Amino acid sequence: MSVAWSGAEARAGGDVHRGWFPADAEQHRRDAPRYCPACATALSLAEGGQGLTTEYWTGRDRVFVCYCGACGWSGDIVLADRVVGHEAAD
Amino acid sequence: MLTAEQNDELTQVAAGTPMGELLRRYWYPIAFTRELEEFPVRPARLLGEDFAVFKTPRGRYGLLPEACPHRRASLTYGVVESDGLRCPYHGWMFGVDGSCLDQPAERDETNFRSRVSARAGFVQELGGLIWAYIGPAPAPELPRFDVFVMDGVRDIGWTDLPCNFVQIMENAVDPHHTEWLHGRFFEFMARHQGFDAPPSFGKKHVKVGFDAFEWGIIKRRVVEGASEEDDDWKIGHPLVFPYNMRVGGANIEQMQIRVPIDRTTTRFMLYTVHAPAGVEYPAQPQVPDYQIPVYDSHGRHRVDYVEGQDMMAWVTQGPITDRTVEHLGRSDIGVTMLRRMFKENMAAVARGEDPLGVVRLPHERIDLPCEKNKFDAGATFAIDFIDRASSRFSPQADALKKLHIKAHENRKAHKNGKAHDEGTADGKAAAG
Repeated sequence: MSVAWSGAEARAGGDVHRGWFPADAEQHRRDAPRYCPACATALSLAEGGQGLTTEYWTGRDRVFVCYCGACGWSGDIVLADRVVGHEAAD
Repeated sequence: MLTAEQNDELTQVAAGTPMGELLRRYWYPIAFTRELEEFPVRPARLLGEDFAVFKTPRGRYGLLPEACPHRRASLTYGVVESDGLRCPYHGWMFGVDGSCLDQPAERDETNFRSRVSARAGFVQELGGLIWAYIGPAPAPELPRFDVFVMDGVRDIGWTDLPCNFVQIMENAVDPHHTEWLHGRFFEFMARHQGFDAPPSFGKKHVKVGFDAFEWGIIKRRVVEGASEEDDDWKIGHPLVFPYNMRVGGANIEQMQIRVPIDRTTTRFMLYTVHAPAGVEYPAQPQVPDYQIPVYDSHGRHRVDYVEGQDMMAWVTQGPITDRTVEHLGRSDIGVTMLRRMFKENMAAVARGEDPLGVVRLPHERIDLPCEKNKFDAGATFAIDFIDRASSRFSPQADALKKLHIKAHENRKAHKNGKAHDEGTADGKAAAG
C-alpha cells in the first residue's frame, strides 16, 4: 500500500512557516523517539517507519506517546528535566 | 504535536492511503431515506469519491460511481428502472451490482458489456438513513446501534462543515472543552446577547478518564459536586470508532455522526431519539431532518447553541488543522489515545485484518454504554437540551418539549398513584 503524500504542502504543515512556533516544531522533529524500543524499527514516517509519535507537555516534561506499526508496541517516553522521588512513608 | 508527515497520514481519506483504506472498512450514512422517496436518484459524495445513489421501483437500493463507464456523463441524472440505473446520455444500463445490463446502440453478440461493469457499492436503509459501504467485498454487517433501532421520536439535524473529520473526532475525547466552550463561553455570549445559558454545562471537571473498548473509547468525567458513583464516570459515553459519538441523558439518546465527505468536508449529523418513558410516541412516516445553522447573517459563527459552539471550534482550527504547531497538554490525553487508535487500525488493515468495530455477525441491536443522568443535571437536562442545542431548530421542537413534559407528568402521576395505592393497602393491612 503506498502513501499518497501531497508533497511539499503536506510537509510544510502550513502555520509553522508563518512563524507559528517553529522552534517547538523543530524540537519535536529532533527529539521524538526515532526507533521502537521493542523492535528497533523506525517510528518516523519520514524515515520509512510506520509508527506514530504524539507529543504533549506536562509541566516541564515532554511526553511522547509512541506506537510502533511494525510490532504493535505502545508506550510513553518522557523527556524530563528533573526526576522527583516520592517521600518516604512515615 | 505531530510531524507534518504524520498529520498528513492521519487526515487522508483517499483510496490507497492507510487512513483511506481504514475508513473504507465501515458503513456511512449518505442520504436520508425520504430523499430517495421524493426522487429515486441523487448524488452522494463519500471519502472524496462521487456516486449516484438510487432506489428502484422494486425497492432495491444501488450505489454507482457518478461517471458512466461509457463516456463519463453523470449517472446522478440517470433514469431509474426496475433493474437498475440507465445513463441519460446513451442509455447504458447498470444493475445494483454494477453489471452492465444494456448498451442500446451496441451489437449484442459481443462481450463488450462484461468489460464495462461499474464498481458498485453496497447500500442498506436503517433508521431513516441510507447507508453505503464502498470498501472491499465481502461487506461487513451494517451495525445496528441502539439509537438507530430503538423506539422513540426521531429527529435529525445536519450540516456540512469545511474541515477534516479527525479534528471533529478529537473533540469527542476532549471532556474539558465542555466546561469552557459550553460553560464559560456560553455564559459570556449569553450575557452580551441577552439569552440564558444552561448552568449544567459549566461544571468544573474534577477528573477525566478514557477506556478503549470494543467499539472505540469510553469517555468518563467527574464534575464538581458529583462523584465516581455518578453516571458521567460510572458509565460515561463512547466515541464509536471511527466517526461517531454516542451521547445521551434525560431520555434523549443521540448519535453524533461525522461523515468524511472528502478530506476537508465533513457531514455533521445529530441523530436524536427522544424516548421518555410514560408516553405513547406519535407515528413518524418519515424521520424529519433539518439543516442547522453554522453562520449568522454577518458570516460569523452562530455560537448561541451548543453545537454551534462546537462547530465554531472545529472549523476555526482550519480545513486541516496544523498539528505540527499545536501544544497538547495532559488534559489532551484522550486525543493522543484516539490518534494511536487510528494508527493501530491502519496497521490492522494493512495486515489484512478487520479493524475495530467492523461487524461480521448478523445481529438485532448493539447497545452502547451511555450515561442517563447527564452532568448531574437531573430532569432539567431534556428541556435545556432542546432549548439550547441543535434541536431548537427542529420543526418539531415544541412538540418534543411537550412530549418530555407530558411524559414527566405521567410518570409523576403514576408514581403518586402508586404511592397512594400502597398507602391505602398498608392502611388496610394495618386495619386488618
